[in-house]
Amino acid sequence: MNYSGNILTKKRLNLEVREPLGLLAKTIILLVSVLFGLSISIFILILSGVNASDLWNEFIIYIFTSQKNLSAVLVQAVPLIIVGLSAAVAFRAKFWNIGIEGQMIFGAIAATFIATNDVGPESMRLTLMFLAAAAGGIGWIILPAIIKIRLDVNEIISTLLMNYIAFNFLLHLLYGSWRDPLTGFPNSQQYDTFENLPLIGWQSLNFSIVIALFLSAVIFWLFVFSRFGYMLRVLHSNANMAQSLGIRVGILIFLATIISGALAGICGFAVSAGIESRMTQSFFVGYGFSGILIAFLARENPIGILIVSLLFSILVIGGQSLQVFYQIPFAMVQLIQAIIVMCVAGSEFFIRYRISILKR
Amino acid sequence: MPKITHQSHLIEMEKITKSFGDFLAIDQVSFNLTHGEIHALLGENGAGKSSLMNVLAGIYAQDEGQIKLNGNTVDITGPAMAKSLGIGMVHQHYKLVSNFSALDNIALTVPHGAYQSGIRDLRKIIISKMSEIGFDLDIDKQVGKLSVAEQQRVEILKVLLGGAKIIVLDEPTAVLTDEESKGFFKTIKLLAESGAAVILVTHKLKEAMNYADRITVMRGGQIIDTITPEDLSEEQLISLIVGEIIIDEPNLSKDIGDRKISLQNLQTTSHDGSIALKNISLNIRRGEIYGIAGVGGNGQAELASALMGLSKLETGAILLNGHGDISSMRPDQRRNCGLVYIPADRQKYALAGQLSLTENYAISGLLRHEFGSWFKVNSFKAFEKASKAFKEYDIMGVRNLNQKAASLSGGNAQKLVISREFSSNPSFIIAHSPSRGLDLRATAAVRAKLCMARDNGAAVLLISEDLDEILLLSDTIGVINGGSIVAEFEAPTARHDIGKAMVN
Repeated sequence: MNYSGNILTKKRLNLEVREPLGLLAKTIILLVSVLFGLSISIFILILSGVNASDLWNEFIIYIFTSQKNLSAVLVQAVPLIIVGLSAAVAFRAKFWNIGIEGQMIFGAIAATFIATNDVGPESMRLTLMFLAAAAGGIGWIILPAIIKIRLDVNEIISTLLMNYIAFNFLLHLLYGSWRDPLTGFPNSQQYDTFENLPLIGWQSLNFSIVIALFLSAVIFWLFVFSRFGYMLRVLHSNANMAQSLGIRVGILIFLATIISGALAGICGFAVSAGIESRMTQSFFVGYGFSGILIAFLARENPIGILIVSLLFSILVIGGQSLQVFYQIPFAMVQLIQAIIVMCVAGSEFFIRYRISILKR
Repeated sequence: MPKITHQSHLIEMEKITKSFGDFLAIDQVSFNLTHGEIHALLGENGAGKSSLMNVLAGIYAQDEGQIKLNGNTVDITGPAMAKSLGIGMVHQHYKLVSNFSALDNIALTVPHGAYQSGIRDLRKIIISKMSEIGFDLDIDKQVGKLSVAEQQRVEILKVLLGGAKIIVLDEPTAVLTDEESKGFFKTIKLLAESGAAVILVTHKLKEAMNYADRITVMRGGQIIDTITPEDLSEEQLISLIVGEIIIDEPNLSKDIGDRKISLQNLQTTSHDGSIALKNISLNIRRGEIYGIAGVGGNGQAELASALMGLSKLETGAILLNGHGDISSMRPDQRRNCGLVYIPADRQKYALAGQLSLTENYAISGLLRHEFGSWFKVNSFKAFEKASKAFKEYDIMGVRNLNQKAASLSGGNAQKLVISREFSSNPSFIIAHSPSRGLDLRATAAVRAKLCMARDNGAAVLLISEDLDEILLLSDTIGVINGGSIVAEFEAPTARHDIGKAMVN
């Protein structure tokens, strides 16, 4: 053992656990990390041959000066908001719902079944489709939920695998009995006019935006004001404590997953009846992971989900025009999303720790 | 004992200052340690003991001041550096990988070459060390499945095998029984005599008085005095620590009523390394504290969780006066019958650190439908009730009720748990090590609350590994050993008899 060495260093980095930060400081750190992610993204885009002023034009000027582009952004934001909410509700109950896409598929299948089989009167058709979609989404999450609660089967695996079953079942329908008889394309027959969500009178914006805002308000109330939300917060913060205090943890998780599945199903309906006017074979692609990212970035906060969804949507719409005018692959949009998510995840570190340089 | 000469300071900490934000944790503190001594560091929670030791162990960097080792200034840049200088610390909250075996945990800090052969060598070294210092431990068991007392032994072994010459022990005996503590101090004496120096951070005055060569008392981030145990009486020492006198005298029930709860032949099966309960039968009366004494890991946790309905009974009945057999009820139903629970590990089972103080307090009332409807939580009412309770229970360090529960110190966190659990006027209280890790003042407050509940007619089951606590509070004492109650005593009882039953 060497006690006698006189060890002197001039400077060193020191890492300390911070006192919990206030909301303002957290927001600033979050914003800085988003800006940092954006600057990396801009750098990459410039490297791939888009010049900076074009980026400004595509992502800011063209979107906010053109009513058409702005409405396209809002239309695109709707399904993102709904899947974001779906992921947030499940995550609050510590249920990692990776099966949002599968639940969207079954939501759309249920809604399309109502539409193609003309179930119920025409005036009630959309309402029935909406309810059927919610039920379809629930139907596709109920099994993973039950085996998680009863048998402790990992829901990440079960919900993920359920996606594949749902996708192949969808293909089975679209290449089989549900193939569009008019065109022969592998998608469902087109919905009747009254089976589409009506336009609300401004550009291409349809009624699904109202649904998305309403659902956001409901989830906000659920999280912030209801007893259910309070119990979810306790469960999220300390599951052992929840159980020890007599909260019926199993039922709580079950209800949260049901709500999550219903929201995903409704999203399937919103895409099919709001944008595509039929059920296609790829309407759900990418929404599952987008939902997870949005819920994560928004810290499961419904208002945050509205904002993040809007930003994601701008990225998607702007990305589409980059694709058309600059031959930038759409994968670039996903890359940008990933960079921003990683920067925000990394910012957790600065929220928890303080770095200082000590001088001796 | 080697002669203490002031020339041979092993460690000198000079005018150390450390602050966290606006909070000055230690202020110009000078502290020294000589070869071969056991130096007790006494003080209440928040007095600055842990901060000072964390500076020594390289976990915090001091803002000002310097540390000298054998007269040479050293710059302790981190825990690894401290370790290489021969400074080892056993923290109050253990730093163990719970999925690893005890052996693997030790191998992590004290690697012995290649893993496979190293493990073989290390196993031999650990076993010989354990027999040398009288430790009993299954080193192949997962650490997460060991009792708290056993986990501590792993931590001590880690430090000893790491070759530490300066050993800092933060509240080492908080989780040990009398017998274990005696053996523990024998070890410490041995180590000190062989030239190591030991810093003992503790709340327990008796230990400091009996085993330390010198005692340093801290209060409010400053050193009040450094004395030798012969200089002062225990009472004088107490007043040094708290600035006033707190007296510990047995507080037994004056009015024991009829039978409130009767446990009949409780049996559980052992799984995940838990101890099976065997044929536990006992009765607790109204206005009585029934103390369960025993060495940690003999079924205490299993008994508590079986009573609260958190784990399943195989056979047996829990008869609660007025409610019949509650053994098949869910935890929420049992709570509705008047049961409440103060668990041993409050951070894990009783507090949601990321939620506010109000939310932590109001959750039990919420579940009793006291605060608004399903549709709308009446957070104003919850806030009012919480702030009233916080005043009544004298919970200090509360800046506002929206601060996170994680920011409370141990004593105040425990007061929060008790205020919540007592908010329903419970008729049967299960308290497991309720004063573990608390300072004198908080301990006195927690015990007073238990006595108050008892005086109001509640039946209390006090499970504690601290025999002093059992003797101070219990009207009847049962000794748990290997999952069964092996002896039962009426208070007052000789400490020796209980101790014997605990280790037989």
